[in-house]
Amino acid sequence: MLSFLIFLPILSICVVLAMPLRRYYLHKAITLATAGIQLLSSVFLFASYQSGQGVQWAETYEWFSFSAGYLGTLSADYSLGLDGFNISLVLLSGIVLFVGAIAGWLTKENRKGYYSLYLLLCSSIYGCFLAQDFLLFFIFFEFMLLPMYFLIGMWGGPRREYASIKFFLYTLAGSLLILIVMIGLSISAFDPIKTATQNGITEIALLKPAMQQGRISASQAVHTFRFEYLGDASCYLPSGILSNASSFIWKGLSLREWAFWALLIGFLIKLPSFPFHTWLPDAHVEAPTAISVVLAGILLKIGGYGIMKIAYPFFPAEALHFSYWIGLLGVISIVWGALNALAMYDLKKMIAYSSVSHMGFVLLGISSVTVEGLNGAIFQQFSHGILSSLLFILTGVLYDRTHDRHIENYHGLAVKMPIYTAFVMVAFFASFGLPGFSGFIGELLILIGAFSSASSAGPLPYWMSLVSTAGILLGAAYFLWTMQRMFFGKFWINRGITWKEGLYDLQSRELLMVIPLSALTLLLGIMPAWLLQSYSSETIAWIQLIRGL
Amino acid sequence: MKTIILLSVLGIVAMMADIFKYRAVLWYLVLAGIGAAVGLELLEWNQNMPYYGMLLMDNYAVAFSCIILGLLFVWFLVSRDSYTGQEFNDADHYALILFSSVGALLMVSFVDLSLMFLGIEILSIPLYILAGSRKKDLSSNESSLKYFLMGSFTTGILLFGITLVYGATGTFHIERIASAIGNSTMPVYFYTGIALLVVGFGFKVSAVPFHFWTPDVYQGAPTFITAYMSTIVKTAGFAGFYRLFSTSFSNARMPELMEGTTWSILVIVLIVLTIVIGNLIAAYQTNAKRMLAYSGVAQAGYMLMAVLVSQVEDNTKSSLMLYMASYGLATLAAFTVLYYVQKSKGSDEFEAFTSLGKTNPLLAAVLTISMLSLAGIPPTAGFFAKFYLFTSVLKANPSLLWLVGVAIFGSLVSVYYYFKLIISMYGSDEKSTAEVPTNMAYQFILVAIVLIILFLGIQPGLITNLANL
Repeated sequence: MLSFLIFLPILSICVVLAMPLRRYYLHKAITLATAGIQLLSSVFLFASYQSGQGVQWAETYEWFSFSAGYLGTLSADYSLGLDGFNISLVLLSGIVLFVGAIAGWLTKENRKGYYSLYLLLCSSIYGCFLAQDFLLFFIFFEFMLLPMYFLIGMWGGPRREYASIKFFLYTLAGSLLILIVMIGLSISAFDPIKTATQNGITEIALLKPAMQQGRISASQAVHTFRFEYLGDASCYLPSGILSNASSFIWKGLSLREWAFWALLIGFLIKLPSFPFHTWLPDAHVEAPTAISVVLAGILLKIGGYGIMKIAYPFFPAEALHFSYWIGLLGVISIVWGALNALAMYDLKKMIAYSSVSHMGFVLLGISSVTVEGLNGAIFQQFSHGILSSLLFILTGVLYDRTHDRHIENYHGLAVKMPIYTAFVMVAFFASFGLPGFSGFIGELLILIGAFSSASSAGPLPYWMSLVSTAGILLGAAYFLWTMQRMFFGKFWINRGITWKEGLYDLQSRELLMVIPLSALTLLLGIMPAWLLQSYSSETIAWIQLIRGL
Repeated sequence: MKTIILLSVLGIVAMMADIFKYRAVLWYLVLAGIGAAVGLELLEWNQNMPYYGMLLMDNYAVAFSCIILGLLFVWFLVSRDSYTGQEFNDADHYALILFSSVGALLMVSFVDLSLMFLGIEILSIPLYILAGSRKKDLSSNESSLKYFLMGSFTTGILLFGITLVYGATGTFHIERIASAIGNSTMPVYFYTGIALLVVGFGFKVSAVPFHFWTPDVYQGAPTFITAYMSTIVKTAGFAGFYRLFSTSFSNARMPELMEGTTWSILVIVLIVLTIVIGNLIAAYQTNAKRMLAYSGVAQAGYMLMAVLVSQVEDNTKSSLMLYMASYGLATLAAFTVLYYVQKSKGSDEFEAFTSLGKTNPLLAAVLTISMLSLAGIPPTAGFFAKFYLFTSVLKANPSLLWLVGVAIFGSLVSVYYYFKLIISMYGSDEKSTAEVPTNMAYQFILVAIVLIILFLGIQPGLITNLANL
């Protein structure tokens, strides 16, 4: 089932590539159908998922293994599965990719290439979320950059080449840091089942002590990339360079601490958090609407997912130790992103900075190391995925009509486009956290987490939660101010704008995208338990692991 | 051994083609000959056959010979088009290339320093001629002369190094050198000899700071000769380098003056310089051929990492092998595309590639995938080649983490210039819409190469499982 989600788009690519160029409507239809099937499958998976029953729908096959001389065997698995951390993101991917397929409906240039790359993106996003093996995750993680790079670089705005290479190099720098740590982790850890089989031990329970005490030498170990073993301290060789016993110190930090930061920075770039966020506004401004939607709606979430799923559980002690600083980065991102958004003239850039601010909340929630905070962070990831998709689609609507996104060039748009204005209001209000919308729940839970972190001997002090609350205020300020400048008052428009097709209101294709997204944010705002219950018991286990309870 | 004889005979057959008038079928003859040579080579697998204390056909030699012959086969397939015109005499060229490849085979299977030296000379001398084979072109002549002068210097340095090592150990046999060293401290001139050998091989594999000849020679020589030089010659150079240093000098400890260090310090300096400078200069190039030349220099830095850890880790052999195969295939594919672009547009600047994505999507896709492989992006062979290499370096010596960091910085820079070429292909420029015609057969070959690159990226175990050579 899960493999089907990854390989269906690849099959569709083959079909798209085989179709002649002039049948472009078929290319579109196949892309939309593929995204639709993926959406339905994701909904089905979400509905069937039961929290607290371990990894579900698991598929594991050996991918390759090779002997590496005196350091044992290196083995990688093709392993997929659903757990509490990726189930909500799988659903989100289904929704956002489907909406993105509709948003890309009117692509005119080189349609065949566009839709093939879009399908490739669909495949690699699912692969990245579903992988339960670090190497597999990494390959999809890095492979995702390619279609993204081409989609921004070939169908983007005027400065697309600069923006796409900047995006690529930033993310690649991060993923190379992840690569080093991944190698280090895998050569320090072992796969108990395969090692037992190789050494003829039938009792798995006997194996771990034998490895720990060195009765089985390192050269007989089978190294692994599986998440479940890398997150288990008893699966590390005592002689491994990244095991707990490693005493290597460089510049005052142990090797494990260095590795944690390298991994964290890799994901912080993707998130993006201050000070690694500068690629995001450039990429968003140049990307076509559909790609902005996917970028903000899904790709940023991989950063948060990586921190929750990889950086924290693999290095629990280090993570707890440095959570203060991670929380600080979160707070700075919240305030810095909001202040930047306040200063932007370009509507799309403003929304991009608001993304930085909102993803800062995710970081704050994770670093609070409380159940509320982590629940809020996962919720905020989902909610922000829906809301930022909505915001970028609405920006795209205006841009399609006038080819101009400058906030000060518009005034009183509500007169000409009332329905549009209504949806913008929903999106803006939901984004700055008005109660009744999903954004409120996420931020509320995160702030509760941050406060209770301070009161329950957690890593974050009180002032961080207070300052973040100020971030919400700033959020309300820039959204409302933009609202007031662009939509209210007497209708006026800058004469420099070429009226391409006139300022008509939303059309049915656009309504098809914005109505479900708006409904979803409202639904989640009223019934948050619907999403929260899908990962409730996993977050508790996570907190126990990190806090070492 | 049989392969070497067969290839030499094949060279002579090629030379006679004009006299006995079978030039028309020569190409097929050569391809069949190389195919037979691969078969003969495979018969020697696991045989460990020594030949008069000069050659030893161990599995290392067999595996590298197969890679060289495989690349040679691909080279003959893709270079056919440049010999259909009147510009070059294919019989002469084929003979020289085959002789040169005999040298390459000697360099991967020697156990005697004198034969290694002969191998290098046999490899190089035909190339001096080939580099200058565009007789009326000034840059081709420059290329030939530069290559010749630099090659002669290198030869001198290598010979001097061999002499000093011989003087200290009293033998040319690489295993006996190792046992002569044992645990004893050698005289200073022995280490000087090792240093000179490093410098000599550094020239051959164009490691910084011995790379100055590379860009000019690569740019001036005819494109397919450049492709030959940057793949097969480089593979042979590295295979020889690795074989000599991992067998003979893995125990060589420096005298009191540099307590605790080995020749690896020299190689580390070469690696850092090669990766940093090679990549940075490549990023500034505007000419695709020159960019590929510098990328070859930069890639040599990564391959040197395998030589560096050869003394500790056994499986670096297979890392080096995977790296060589992936680099060789990607480079051959890239040069082939470059050749067609050059042929139709008369230029090999980046601008000549503009809108290739529209006029010939297949060539553009081939070049894209080979660039991705060179940059090390999954799921291409290049990613796993780098991945295994870094893994084996880290395993051999975790304190070399900083070196892996440098290498990763280098590959980050390399993404920039490899992608510059990709961008220029897909950039839309209405002016240059000249067609880049290709023949169906060559397209088929190129697609096959790309599929191999992708296949090795998904199933790298194919080559790495040869670890226990």
